Amino acid sequence: MSTGIGARVKRKEDKRFITGKGKYTDDVRSENQAYAAFVRSPHAHAKIKGIDKSAALAMEGVIDVLDGHQLTGDGIGNIICGWAITSKDGSAMNMGAWSALATEKVRYVGDAAAVVIAETQALARIAAEAVEVDYEVLPAVSNAKKALADGAPEIHDNAPGNLIYDWEIGEEAATDAALSEAAHVTEMEITNNRLSPNPMEPRSAVATYDAAEEHYTLYTTSQNPHVARLVLSAFYQVAPEHKLRVIAPDVGGGFGSKIYIYPEEITCLWASMKTNRSVKWTSDRSEAFITDAHGRDHISTAKMGFDADGRITGFKVDTIANFGAYMSLFSSAVPTYLYATLLSGQYDIQNIHCNVRAVYTNTVPVDAYRGAGRPEACYLIERMMETAAREMGKDPSELRRANFVREFPHQTPVIMAYDAGDFDANLDQAREAADVAGFPARKEEAAKRGKLRGLGYSSYIEACGIAPSAAVGSLGAGVGLWESAEVRVNPVGTIEILTGSHSHGQGHETTFAQIVAERFSIPIENVSIVHGDTDKVQFGMGTYGSRSGAVGMSAIVKAMDKVEAKVRKIAAHVLEASEDDIVIEGGEVKVKGTDKAMGWHEVGLSAYTAHNLPPDMEPGLKESAFYDPANFTFPAGAYICEVEVDPETGVTEIVRFTASDDFGTIINPMIVEGQVHGGIAQGIGQAMLEQVVYDDDGQLITGSYMDYTMPRAADLPFYDVHHASTICPNNPLGMKGCGEAGAIGSPPAVINAITDAIGSNTLAMPATPHAVWSALQAAQ
Amino acid sequence: MTKISMNVNGKAVSRDVPDETLLSDYLREHLRLTGTHVGCDTSQCGACVVHVNGRAVKSCSALAASLEGAEVTTIEGIAQNGELHPMQQAFTDHHGLQCGFCTPGMIMTGVDMVNRYKAEGRDLTTDAIRHELEGNICRCTGYHNIVRAVEDAAAKM
Amino acid sequence: MDMTGEYRIAAPRDAVWAALNDVDVLEVCIPGCEEIHQDSPTTMTAKVVQKIGPVKARFDGAIELLNIEAPASYTIKGEGQGGVAGFAKGSADVTLEEDGDETVLRYEARAQVGGKLARLGSRLIDATAKKVATQFFNNFQQHLNDPDPPEDG
Repeated sequence: MSTGIGARVKRKEDKRFITGKGKYTDDVRSENQAYAAFVRSPHAHAKIKGIDKSAALAMEGVIDVLDGHQLTGDGIGNIICGWAITSKDGSAMNMGAWSALATEKVRYVGDAAAVVIAETQALARIAAEAVEVDYEVLPAVSNAKKALADGAPEIHDNAPGNLIYDWEIGEEAATDAALSEAAHVTEMEITNNRLSPNPMEPRSAVATYDAAEEHYTLYTTSQNPHVARLVLSAFYQVAPEHKLRVIAPDVGGGFGSKIYIYPEEITCLWASMKTNRSVKWTSDRSEAFITDAHGRDHISTAKMGFDADGRITGFKVDTIANFGAYMSLFSSAVPTYLYATLLSGQYDIQNIHCNVRAVYTNTVPVDAYRGAGRPEACYLIERMMETAAREMGKDPSELRRANFVREFPHQTPVIMAYDAGDFDANLDQAREAADVAGFPARKEEAAKRGKLRGLGYSSYIEACGIAPSAAVGSLGAGVGLWESAEVRVNPVGTIEILTGSHSHGQGHETTFAQIVAERFSIPIENVSIVHGDTDKVQFGMGTYGSRSGAVGMSAIVKAMDKVEAKVRKIAAHVLEASEDDIVIEGGEVKVKGTDKAMGWHEVGLSAYTAHNLPPDMEPGLKESAFYDPANFTFPAGAYICEVEVDPETGVTEIVRFTASDDFGTIINPMIVEGQVHGGIAQGIGQAMLEQVVYDDDGQLITGSYMDYTMPRAADLPFYDVHHASTICPNNPLGMKGCGEAGAIGSPPAVINAITDAIGSNTLAMPATPHAVWSALQAAQ
Repeated sequence: MTKISMNVNGKAVSRDVPDETLLSDYLREHLRLTGTHVGCDTSQCGACVVHVNGRAVKSCSALAASLEGAEVTTIEGIAQNGELHPMQQAFTDHHGLQCGFCTPGMIMTGVDMVNRYKAEGRDLTTDAIRHELEGNICRCTGYHNIVRAVEDAAAKM
Repeated sequence: MDMTGEYRIAAPRDAVWAALNDVDVLEVCIPGCEEIHQDSPTTMTAKVVQKIGPVKARFDGAIELLNIEAPASYTIKGEGQGGVAGFAKGSADVTLEEDGDETVLRYEARAQVGGKLARLGSRLIDATAKKVATQFFNNFQQHLNDPDPPEDG
């Protein structure tokens, strides 16, 4: 059976997971392990007037209680946001100070004021309760719009009016003019609900300081261990990079929330040095809800103008983005370069303007969550398109077709230059698979049973890979967004791939091995993928933005190119032939058209014995490469959702969900389909079930799985997933990325379907039975 | 402290444990069987499901001290002589796992579900599988392939 | 959330007012009150046990009397720290109106919780706060109408 590109190879990593042998951070236990528990604020906004540690310190087994003044006193730097956004008036963004342990003020429920280090986890938690923090409670604000209002409590001294930045993109005057001349203008106010990412593995850290070597080791639940090491060293001054090893072993899901370097990792490292003990912290779910970065939380108003033929003439958006109490690592980029730049959707729109105000509130910091900005953009555009079609009495798919971009490359007015796509093909495929033609009959049949049936579309486009580095640098990014790889051919011919892409469910150990095995014509079992350890892997920017294929695998291809070049030279030398005549196939390196050949393993052995290499050639067979992409990639597709609503109860069932995606080249369709399934499930979760709720005082009231509704098996349908691909012209494998598409494309399809069913367009996410029922009542 | 004797994955084990020790902590911290995971603190997620005397139990909600003499099977104990359990095999065959964190609980729940339905002579439809998975949360797969895996394993068990 | 209520008490206003300011009366009327100490004419400290859904917490609290317009109205404000369970705060504006030999007591109360109580018990807070407020004023009414029998609840 083929294991090459396009083969449904079963995952190499599965065996350890299905037998309980996965090794996650919380499974790590150092000798003489000590445990950390954080003393967290129950108040959304308060001054710290004092901390009384005496009762906790008096407990047997408590090693130390450490606070923010000690942390900053030791020179541990503030947590930073790594992407500088400039306001439209030219001013820099207002980044408030964020210390891993608060010193003067706490700014959200969960903000840590101190940490207890104790002999057992249970004892640390009990002792943390005994630490008395004297708070002077201040007024708090949790809603972004209210935080901008006059007289709102100010959260950071250097952010007057809680405004972080006021940014714009596109031409406002031209867009206003286009809207004023439009034959029809659709206007909507759209909220993108706040979500909690909820990877099933709670975050965890095990930090160990070796005093003799002045060296730190950190096991952590990270999507990007090298970025963690870089930031911990360069910005937080925890340890110099060569004295800090970061290991992200098996990681139980990330969805963005494990990109960031959180206060807990910093504190554990520092506390390990302070106490000269290995310090372990593992979040419980309650703690995760108040410490893991949340996602989304936009409030937007939008106007879309059309000419008499239904062609979009202008699109104007005003967005308020809730950032929570501090600016998390990539927070600033999410509602700007990952959101407003996608507002052209799949459509040829000449005039777009978007204004974004980023706002502090007394809530958990908000950052990238699966899709990061692109779901917000897609939801906005696709709700507008469906609504406009209804208002103008047009078929929603025909209105989309009237505006599709069909010539590539296509420069949008909001930075992005789409490189390839066939949006008609995706829409055609989805409509066919969803049997749109048969929908009226199904609707009629449902009506006989007293049910309301609806159908909704979403034609999404997103931008993945995130680069090129020079371009993102010019837009304010603090890092480059390339990826690196090393290909090590061992003397026996087996291969290790060292990659900076981290796998936490994506199946890299299989897909990456597939392209290597195919390229060098060796069994896939002879390839292993090494990742997640800064002592093993040269460097890496990590996994997010659906970049592991388009960027991570491209780096592997580049390194394989170098290996192949050397293999050809060695083989040509040994076999006394021209390099150009060397071919690699069937496990051998051959001279084309002859019976002269050497086994793949013999080439490896030759390289390492070095008895007979070409003059001046270095021994060994190991090459590395850094790949910096030429452009974003643009996955796109069409999703169709069909629902049935019970008008008596508002209970909505998704009876059919059809996806047609364009991901470019697909290495392993089984894994890609799995990514789409999971993405759609999270999108349906956002559309129908999930919402982080704060009360007006900044108290989180959805702090467990009893109140925050996670999608469960019975809430979800089987998904009908198809592909209609165009090849990405900008990377060697032609890949676009598939990790986020489902979460981006699905929410508007669901809401468009439900609003179609109930005949009312006034419905916000999450469309709970109560919300649907209320919308139905209001419409009657 | 209470001395607890159990049979875990076919082996007799005996340990002194504090009375408040949860079965999940006992397995993970005392026996170092870390395949059983803890994903929440309100007994909703099901990552910690093990079998106690042949029935699926959320080990985060059971006290070790209450299980004197119990037969406990964890994810580490269901493969026999190096041969994967049909449920384990089905999960890999159908790509029913991604990050792997919820997987041990899913598999243990799946085995229990199939056993119960077979014992009762009931038909384990995909709707029934979804209903039975109420107590197990997966954030990666969207459940599609998990349901397919359980369905397939049910036919082979 | 806001809660309101109205009680008719078979006692003259001065007696009702005196009771509202009597720490011993408050002790028997505040549901779950284990002990209460008067620190000054307008401030008290108290220990109160409350069960909110799955969370049972002992609150170390401070009670303060504000906006005193004797004998017509005051605001009674309580604030309690429940340790790891979080905190609870509440206040009630109480007015007394003479009606012959009787007194009409009206209140408007507010409650707020924070920390774990809010995260785990938010579904139950409204009902619990309503129950606590109603119980207090029921107890108070009963106590004044018939101070001898043991209060229930």
